[in-house]
Amino acid sequence: MIPLARKTLVHEWRRFLPAMLAVAFSGLLLLMQAALVFGIFGSAATYISASDADLWIGYPGTQSIELGRPITPAARTAVLTDPDVARVEPFAWVDGDWRGPADKGGVSVFVSGISTQPDGMIFSDVLTASQRALLKEPFAVIVDRADLPKLGVPIGGQALINGDLVRIVGTASGIRALGGVNVVASLDTARALDNDTGGTEVAYYVARLKPGANATRVAARINASAHGYAAWTASSFARRAVFYWMFQTGAGLGVVFLALVVFIVGAIITSQTLMGAIAGSVREYATLHALGVGLGSLRRVVLEQAAWIGVCGLVAGVLLSLGLIGLARMQDVPVELNLPAWIACAALVMGIALVSGIAAVRALRSADPALLLR
Amino acid sequence: MNALEARDLCMGYTSGKLRTEILRGLSLTVEAGRLTLIAGPSGCGKSTLLSILSGLQRPDSGSVLALGEDIWRGDRHALDRFRLQHTGFVFQGFNLFPALTALEQVMLPLGYMGVDDRAAEARGRAALDEVGLGERTHLLPAEMSGGEKQRVAIARALVKQPQLLFADEPTSALDAANGQIVIDTLRRIAHEHRTTVLCVSHDPRLVTHADRVLEMEDGVILNDRRVPHASASQQERAS
Repeated sequence: MIPLARKTLVHEWRRFLPAMLAVAFSGLLLLMQAALVFGIFGSAATYISASDADLWIGYPGTQSIELGRPITPAARTAVLTDPDVARVEPFAWVDGDWRGPADKGGVSVFVSGISTQPDGMIFSDVLTASQRALLKEPFAVIVDRADLPKLGVPIGGQALINGDLVRIVGTASGIRALGGVNVVASLDTARALDNDTGGTEVAYYVARLKPGANATRVAARINASAHGYAAWTASSFARRAVFYWMFQTGAGLGVVFLALVVFIVGAIITSQTLMGAIAGSVREYATLHALGVGLGSLRRVVLEQAAWIGVCGLVAGVLLSLGLIGLARMQDVPVELNLPAWIACAALVMGIALVSGIAAVRALRSADPALLLR
Repeated sequence: MNALEARDLCMGYTSGKLRTEILRGLSLTVEAGRLTLIAGPSGCGKSTLLSILSGLQRPDSGSVLALGEDIWRGDRHALDRFRLQHTGFVFQGFNLFPALTALEQVMLPLGYMGVDDRAAEARGRAALDEVGLGERTHLLPAEMSGGEKQRVAIARALVKQPQLLFADEPTSALDAANGQIVIDTLRRIAHEHRTTVLCVSHDPRLVTHADRVLEMEDGVILNDRRVPHASASQQERAS
């Protein structure tokens, strides 16, 4: 069988290029949108995903980490009595008001009070042991390097948090927050900056389990006897945080809406280009039809072309996206894509191509062989 | 034996309030293995007649028996099947796919007939040989002259080994030499393959080479002439 669809596509690539570009840019838009959304909203769960704790213990019903409330210190003892728990570490969360240089005004900051031990669980992925050691100095803080301009203070510079003088002793990458600036300090510093509870209570405890323990089962066991606190596995707590930001803020719906717009615009442009290409070959199609090749077979040629356009557009879109994601990472723009997101975007892009193909098949109606005889 | 029989064909078009009758109760029979020419001034209905006889356009009334089958009685799919199995077409425009080589153009319909690639290639090469393009199988339409393109189009019709071959003004876009080659090829197909070739043309050269000439005007056949020299030359070749 002569591969008419593919041969025509290769020979007349200029005619099909706009359709391929439309698909490629639709793919690029969908992928970048997904990467940004997951990157931005994923940072709502930075504390959880950048730490290697197995369980998070916080105020019952807490929907996202910044909504934590102080919990009773008794929770620590209760969790430690579970036979599968190896270690428990407090994590203080303090709302702060940063006052740097006069021209920057006030900045809302979230102060994380973490363990300064080399094996501390919180931010284990983004802080080195030596950075943790720097935090042992009273009122020493570490911030994300991308937040420095916002804070208006260089490394080694000083500012006020809740009226107390702090000093930036270093920067890290990957601790940017949503809606504010993350400031990492030692537990003692965080407690000293906490004007509300006076530092007696913390918002969270995190726990590491013994090897082989099932986190979901341990969390359920702790919750069965918990009063005034609740336990989540790290992954379920991270999901709660991301979902809270995506759906409670309306951003999730915005993403779906934008994806729909991209889909429709992509499909319209692609189908119009395909129809143009078919119209250009309509006499040849009509001749084939005259020779007895059914409309069904001709439709398959068009759909095959659409599928190839989808594949080529997808590859181009993915390559462009990978380049842009790399560029974004270099500029500390939060971007993140997981496998399900890649698959969903690829499916949408192929959907754009095939829907366009189905729409473009209409152009074959004019391939009436009787017209060739007039 | 009659390859085609048309009875009481009527066909007309309505444009606004105006009704134009193209065919007015036309009947005719076409014998197998002959080159039959339908000639007449433009607008006389000869192309419409060809499209009805070949199963491309449904008449308002009347019937067409092609190879003993009432082609307008079946549905669209049956008609597609009939054309696929039994008919070849040559149009005034060559209508070749720009992306395909001469050989691929000719092999293309065979794929849809279920012929496997190896057999299709052998048949394709044989058909191109027959139209004198055996050495030009690799050319794309952009690399061919008008005459070569029309010969590829004839090979594409011929490769199906159709019993019925329909040609619409096959020489009108060609110069004298290429026109003559196409005329000779059509005649040879009729006489050697016993294919029924029905050709619509106003090319006077074709008139002198056809076995039979039907002259049409205003939707009816005015004159039906059998040309003696054609059968004479046939006898010459036979001897």
